Amino acid sequence: MEFHFQRALCLLLLGSVGCATTPTHHVALTGDILVDGPKMIAEGPPRDKVLWQYRTAAAAMRRGDFATAKPLLDDALLTLGGIYGKDAEARKSRSYFSREARKTFIGEPYERSMAYFYRGVIYWMNGEPDNARACFRTAEFEDSDAENKEFAGDWVLPDYLDGLVTTKLAGDGSDAFKRAKRNSKNINLPDYNPKANVLFIVEFGPGPVKYATGQYGEALRIRTRSSSLVSARIKTDGVNLSVAPCDDVNFQATTRGGRVMDHILANKAVFKAATDTAGDAAIISGAILANGGHRRKSAADEVGLGLILAGLASKIASARATPEADTRTWENLPQFISYATMSLLPGTHNVTVEFLEPGDKVVAKLTKQITVNIADTTRDKVVFVSDSSTTPQTQ
Amino acid sequence: MKHSIIKLLVPLIAAAFVAGCASSGVKNPSGVPVTRMNADEQGFVAGTGVESQDLVAVTDKMSRSILAISQIAGATTPVVIVLDPVNNETRFPINKDIFLSRIRGELVKKSGGKVTFLARERMAALEKERNLKREGAVTASNDPQKQEFKGADYFLTGELKGLSTRTKAGTSDYILYDFHLIDARTSAIVWEDNAEIKKQGLEDAAYR
Repeated sequence: MEFHFQRALCLLLLGSVGCATTPTHHVALTGDILVDGPKMIAEGPPRDKVLWQYRTAAAAMRRGDFATAKPLLDDALLTLGGIYGKDAEARKSRSYFSREARKTFIGEPYERSMAYFYRGVIYWMNGEPDNARACFRTAEFEDSDAENKEFAGDWVLPDYLDGLVTTKLAGDGSDAFKRAKRNSKNINLPDYNPKANVLFIVEFGPGPVKYATGQYGEALRIRTRSSSLVSARIKTDGVNLSVAPCDDVNFQATTRGGRVMDHILANKAVFKAATDTAGDAAIISGAILANGGHRRKSAADEVGLGLILAGLASKIASARATPEADTRTWENLPQFISYATMSLLPGTHNVTVEFLEPGDKVVAKLTKQITVNIADTTRDKVVFVSDSSTTPQTQ
Repeated sequence: MKHSIIKLLVPLIAAAFVAGCASSGVKNPSGVPVTRMNADEQGFVAGTGVESQDLVAVTDKMSRSILAISQIAGATTPVVIVLDPVNNETRFPINKDIFLSRIRGELVKKSGGKVTFLARERMAALEKERNLKREGAVTASNDPQKQEFKGADYFLTGELKGLSTRTKAGTSDYILYDFHLIDARTSAIVWEDNAEIKKQGLEDAAYR
């Protein structure tokens, strides 16, 4: 009889172990995001696809490969725009026994805003300023549900560029300009110059990363990485323009406030702790009862055994509870984004972009040489430069 | 007897347990068949932005409305129209040509020859062809020196404007699709009509 029970138990355990396996996606990574990104998008876990699209698009833009970045962002934003309603994986990620990270990644609001911002830059490059404006508006919109309304929709550059596009399209961009000015605090935003035909989008410094804290890693936190860079300078054809940061992505990431998911994770953590404690209590009580010196097969023995089993079940439930916060991060975001406009004649221009530490000290190893070709006079020339851009580069 | 039942039950229970789990972690193990939808119906994949059912509804309404105006309904010679790109002021990037292309298609289909559209977006290729004819590099069925490129009677254009709200209760997007026909000679707006679509949605709590 005992033998059969043991066998049954073994078989059931075997079955459980079989159930524990989920589809795995083994992709060998090289460390080069432009190699790893496409592989992870194609062969990696579908839930991480958008994350890798974000990362790869940002890396491609820094190489001046906007044709690669464009479809990646388009596909990511398609997922982002269609996230409404029931989603089986998202529902499971809320359950006690599934990790939050099993949901399809779309990023926190600051990451979503940056995805729209980058796509807007590429739309503008491709001569579609109104679609660029649409992206800048959605970038702002993604940030509009902050817990503290003071920090809702407070990006500066998307609003500023929204107004600039509107002005260039012969509209009234003053509302967007006022919003940008109100949120810019210490930055002196210049009035629009609709005749400036070249727009530089400049980014520098390392962006925020996520980590988990709390007893079970249930609390999502943002870590900001320090950077010595405080500004940039653009030099070409006798032009020497200082570029101060417009937006601090670290600030945007850390001012979002609590998420609904944080409450769910906190509940999961409470469940994990409570079932663990209850399990301990039941096992200890059961053991005391079962070994209480009563005669063999007494009622106390049976109650003790029941308590031990209930305690074990409670401990198993505790062990299986997964309150860990989702710390997947779009980690190749910049800290600062900014812009500069200027008027340049059609033709080829050699542009030097320097990145500066306090006291206007140039970090020579980060200096970029960009050859800017202005061929089409009917549309704006948009140049994208990052402190991690490859150099020299032609745009 | 009891032992026999247990002997039978144990493997059965174990098999059922394992079999029940065989597809766990596999999404849609049986696959999802291709679902053909009409362009004017809302599919199971939907966002709050501009979608095919909006395009069809809006352009159908606009083409019917344009055909009813006296300048077209009472025209004795075909009215010549040029499409001017739509101005997108919403928060959704869109392919702006798609609205006017569909309106043009509907008008050409339903106007019974009362409307002619000019292919202004092809002017570079058309001018190149005309110049080749003028130079004698290619044959011409009539005098290539004669100016035959037509001018427009009307410009058909439009604007998409949006109002968006996002709160704890969800996302709401209202879009006003406004189209107008402008007399090329007088700049008078001879026709204007609009359509409004409002959509609301709320994402799973895991994303909020």
